[in-house]
Amino acid sequence: MEIIAIILLILLVGSFLTYFVDSFNKKWTGTTAFLIVLITAGIFFTKIKSGYQFNFQLAGLDLQWGLTDYSYYFVYIILGLSVLALLYSIKYMEGKARLGYFYGSFILTVLGMLGVVISQDFVSLFFFWEIMTWASFLLVIYNAYYKIKTKGIKYMIFSAVGAYAMFTAIVFIHVHYDTLLISEAIAKGAFNFEQYIYIPIFLLLGFGIKAAVMPFHVWAPPAYAKSPMSFTTIFSGAMSKMGVFGIGLVFTSFYLSSNPENFFWVRTILGWMGGITAVMGTIYALIQTDAKKLLAYSSVAQLGYIIVGLSTGTQLGVMAALYLAVIHAVFKGALFMVAGAVEKQAGTTDMTQISGLIRKMPYTFVVALVSIIALAGVPPLGGFVGKWLLYEALITESNNYILVVVVFFSSTAAFMYSYRFLFGLFLGQEEKETEHVKEAPATMIIPMIILAIIATVAGAYPGLIFEPAAKAMQAIGFQDVTWQMSSLTNVWGDTTDLFLIAMLIFAVFIISFVFLTLKGLKKTRYVGTKDISTSGELPKEWENLTFQLDFFKPFERAAAPLYKMDMNKIWKDLGKNLEAFFGFFRKIYTGNGQTYALYIVIFLVVLLLFRDVLFS
Amino acid sequence: MSEIKSIGIPTPEEIKQAQIDFAPRCTSAGRVNDKETQGMVEHILNFARKHSLFVVAYGTGCGAIEIPATMTSRYDAERFGIRGAATPRQADVMLITGYLSTKTLKRVIRVYEQMQDPKYVIAFGSCAINGGMYFDSYNTINALDRYLPVDVYISGCMPRPESVIKGFVKLQELIKNGNAGNGEAYRSDLDWYRKNQQKVIKNWDFPDNYNW
Amino acid sequence: MEGIFIKILGAFLTAILAFVVGMLYGGLRRKVIARAQNRVGPPIHQNFLDLMKLQAKRTNIAHGFMGHMAPVWIIIAAMTVLMFIPILHGNLWFENLTMKGDLIFLLYMMVFGSLGMALGAGQSGNPNSAMGVSRGLAQLVGFEIPFFLALIALMIQFNTTSIAVLMDHQEATGRWIIVDNPFAFIAALLASLGMFRYAPFDIVGAPAELASGPRSEFGGKYLGTMMTGGAVFAFIKLVMYVDLFLGGAGNNNLEGLAGTALGLVELLVKTFLLYMIPVFIGLVTPRFRTEQAIQFFWKWPTFFGILAIVWALYKNGTIG
Repeated sequence: MEIIAIILLILLVGSFLTYFVDSFNKKWTGTTAFLIVLITAGIFFTKIKSGYQFNFQLAGLDLQWGLTDYSYYFVYIILGLSVLALLYSIKYMEGKARLGYFYGSFILTVLGMLGVVISQDFVSLFFFWEIMTWASFLLVIYNAYYKIKTKGIKYMIFSAVGAYAMFTAIVFIHVHYDTLLISEAIAKGAFNFEQYIYIPIFLLLGFGIKAAVMPFHVWAPPAYAKSPMSFTTIFSGAMSKMGVFGIGLVFTSFYLSSNPENFFWVRTILGWMGGITAVMGTIYALIQTDAKKLLAYSSVAQLGYIIVGLSTGTQLGVMAALYLAVIHAVFKGALFMVAGAVEKQAGTTDMTQISGLIRKMPYTFVVALVSIIALAGVPPLGGFVGKWLLYEALITESNNYILVVVVFFSSTAAFMYSYRFLFGLFLGQEEKETEHVKEAPATMIIPMIILAIIATVAGAYPGLIFEPAAKAMQAIGFQDVTWQMSSLTNVWGDTTDLFLIAMLIFAVFIISFVFLTLKGLKKTRYVGTKDISTSGELPKEWENLTFQLDFFKPFERAAAPLYKMDMNKIWKDLGKNLEAFFGFFRKIYTGNGQTYALYIVIFLVVLLLFRDVLFS
Repeated sequence: MSEIKSIGIPTPEEIKQAQIDFAPRCTSAGRVNDKETQGMVEHILNFARKHSLFVVAYGTGCGAIEIPATMTSRYDAERFGIRGAATPRQADVMLITGYLSTKTLKRVIRVYEQMQDPKYVIAFGSCAINGGMYFDSYNTINALDRYLPVDVYISGCMPRPESVIKGFVKLQELIKNGNAGNGEAYRSDLDWYRKNQQKVIKNWDFPDNYNW
Repeated sequence: MEGIFIKILGAFLTAILAFVVGMLYGGLRRKVIARAQNRVGPPIHQNFLDLMKLQAKRTNIAHGFMGHMAPVWIIIAAMTVLMFIPILHGNLWFENLTMKGDLIFLLYMMVFGSLGMALGAGQSGNPNSAMGVSRGLAQLVGFEIPFFLALIALMIQFNTTSIAVLMDHQEATGRWIIVDNPFAFIAALLASLGMFRYAPFDIVGAPAELASGPRSEFGGKYLGTMMTGGAVFAFIKLVMYVDLFLGGAGNNNLEGLAGTALGLVELLVKTFLLYMIPVFIGLVTPRFRTEQAIQFFWKWPTFFGILAIVWALYKNGTIG
């Protein structure tokens, strides 16, 4: 039996096995799920190399499973993040209800994602895509088991629309090009925007909805925030990257075209969609008071950067997109884990309710700090590399000067919500309500720390990610992708030496830490957060010194026009209009027998009157 | 110790008690650098301290109105390196500008304790010295010295900006000689100060620990 | 071996130069403001005395780990950026790492210190600090937009993202970029008003409103280190503007020490003149509200920034 089939079978059987383990002993459910995915990852990375192929026939269809460098790149994200997320969720999910349901669906989701990247024909792609979507839907409604109608409906509707669009595109490809293999479709130019433009458009719709591109992003923030955090790690970190994976595939046509002017409009429109996604995600992230929602909106914004990078279609831009895909999975995975740890230990992630956890959860704070610095794109951590590549791609290669300002605006405004996240949960007043909070258990801390280390190392040695990314780019049609281990170079030859920067920062850090902080540390006394200069007034126990609500009100006032655009409202209006439209047709069925009799009479009369025309 | 309620000839016992109560608590015990003992480094640092006085002006009483005049163009205290500080954390000098009601005293103590060593206190006017015209008021304190260590008193009611600057110059002199800054004395005599403070502040709710 | 020695010594020289000049400019600003208000004002070396006094405080307080680290972040950011900015053009001693980082790196690195300080201020739990940070970050979004527009205009006009190459270009053509692209200079200059945080954009540390905002819980050595960092940053910003728009300094034909000295004098004159612009504007203006400040940056400075890009494209031959 083929190794890939065994792997998928392990996951499938494992999914049911976990479900049954749960009925016997709830303690072992999480560990079982973790071990199953760990074993799968082990087998996958040892046995399967890039270039693996497996063809077989099923029900008269030629099915192809295999791995190019491009899909292998995404397997790193999927399996790596899944293993860490499952390790994390052992303790995170402890004591919660319906663990078998959770872990079973979780493993099924991993199966779906793995299937999507290994399938090289449209039938299995669609099949696995649906498994992934529906399994993840089960997890989105996990926390709202009895309120499915209100909580998961947006995700379901958008996913369904995306799936229909993709299915339509697949049918059209089969009709026009008579193939179901992706490589053949690419070779025949099925993804070209010139011939049958609706094929790539429908495909982009399908993938774009998964990647939460504006204007289809409305499902993402509630779905990310409502799911259990250990799943959101995967949901935002890996599953949204499936959309990126698909968009990357569809765009192979214009990577391959020698003349970049060919797809000017497609590139511009998609780039702007990505840019607006980034801006809207960011400005909505910074007015959230719930840390989970903040991160969810921020995920939408970060996906916007990736889309912008892909839409450039240049070497640096696609490299930026692929790099950001990994680094976003790393730091946002870590951040969702942090939010989960806080939720688990303090009971809520509402930033108006809790603050000042830094001294209670120091490890979690350090992870949050590192991940936030990576998210904000400040050197010397990994996030900066992605930002650098993206800007340089837009300025030097894509010549999209206004878009780069839009992206820059979004990325500068991202400092605001980055600070908000750290301040809201970890800094600020240490209130009495959070006195009982303890540090999260070790199995929750370890995956976070691993992710934080990756984000740190990627800042000095981005080449570790560039290497597979370059291979992936070669697999989708780029030639001679250049990269260096620890420095960045644009087409004009300007370099940024990251290793040097990291070393310099480290050296200055050590020197200033010794001479500023350690020197005279004995004469420095620690004072609590109630000992602050409040004009000499003694803050009472009940007095509220926490500044959390309306944190960025001045910015909100300054950017008021931006906040007027609300995609949710537009979709709601559309829904209402459609309802009215179809309601009109529904009125034909009055429920009165006489009306139906009238319809029959009218029909017969028409038939008789126009019989010459109709039956000639 | 109750406040002196009326003027009369005090009995010898009262005088004795008053001598104990009003005895200056800030002896040289708390000062690390007398002029004789201070080394070269301390000498230089004292020079810097002397010429850089960040002021937190606790605007009590009528003296608060003299501060703007002292700071602005006419008298320009900035040429001595005197500058306003926004919070007690950054400040070196606290100005008590006039009478102190017991209600304000609590806040003043808080601000003083939040300042960092070396810290200095300048008291303005008669009210801060002996109660001045409020000597028999039920809600002001009579002698600031019993609640906080004071470095320089400026007499007058109110002192004009010239006197204020004179007071600052006096403080600079003291700093230079290593005779100013009683933060450590305050800490070592904390019990005595706390006793006095608690006597007049009825709703005392400070935490017991100085390192609060 | 000798090269490394010169590099290390040069790095120290750069740091000392930046510190001394930055502090002196701070003192000079106080003097200028005093003279404009018809006062005598403090001596020019006043800031050194302040710094010494703050470092000589016998006790300090901290609100925890991030409070300890806040000045360290600032020093890290200041030193790192300083190493990547060309102080004198082509001078052996002040070369440092100028060819190893480009403008986008500098743009992001300059934020590092503010963010670190914001975190330290956040841990103090003082609502004033948090409010100051909220204002500061909002203002950052304001002035970074025109500044970035100006930088992009330079990048596309001269096909480089490196500050050193821009200086080479100015020396080669003998023409300052302020002539080549005046609109970029205007946009960047207006943005610099926000960067220096003097009135009318001193909304972050407004003493009368926020009790000096993020700094309100820092005293002693912490405040002193922040002052140092601020002084170095002021120098960095000025040198960066001189490098970008005013031809840099040190483009003389003299050899050895004389050339360096002349270059330094040239640098001091240029930076001083540039520095006086925000100082004088600060003298005569009251304070904006936060949203007014942000909207100010999004109006005229942004307009000039876009004009700079159009101008750059026109000069470049891309349009027109």
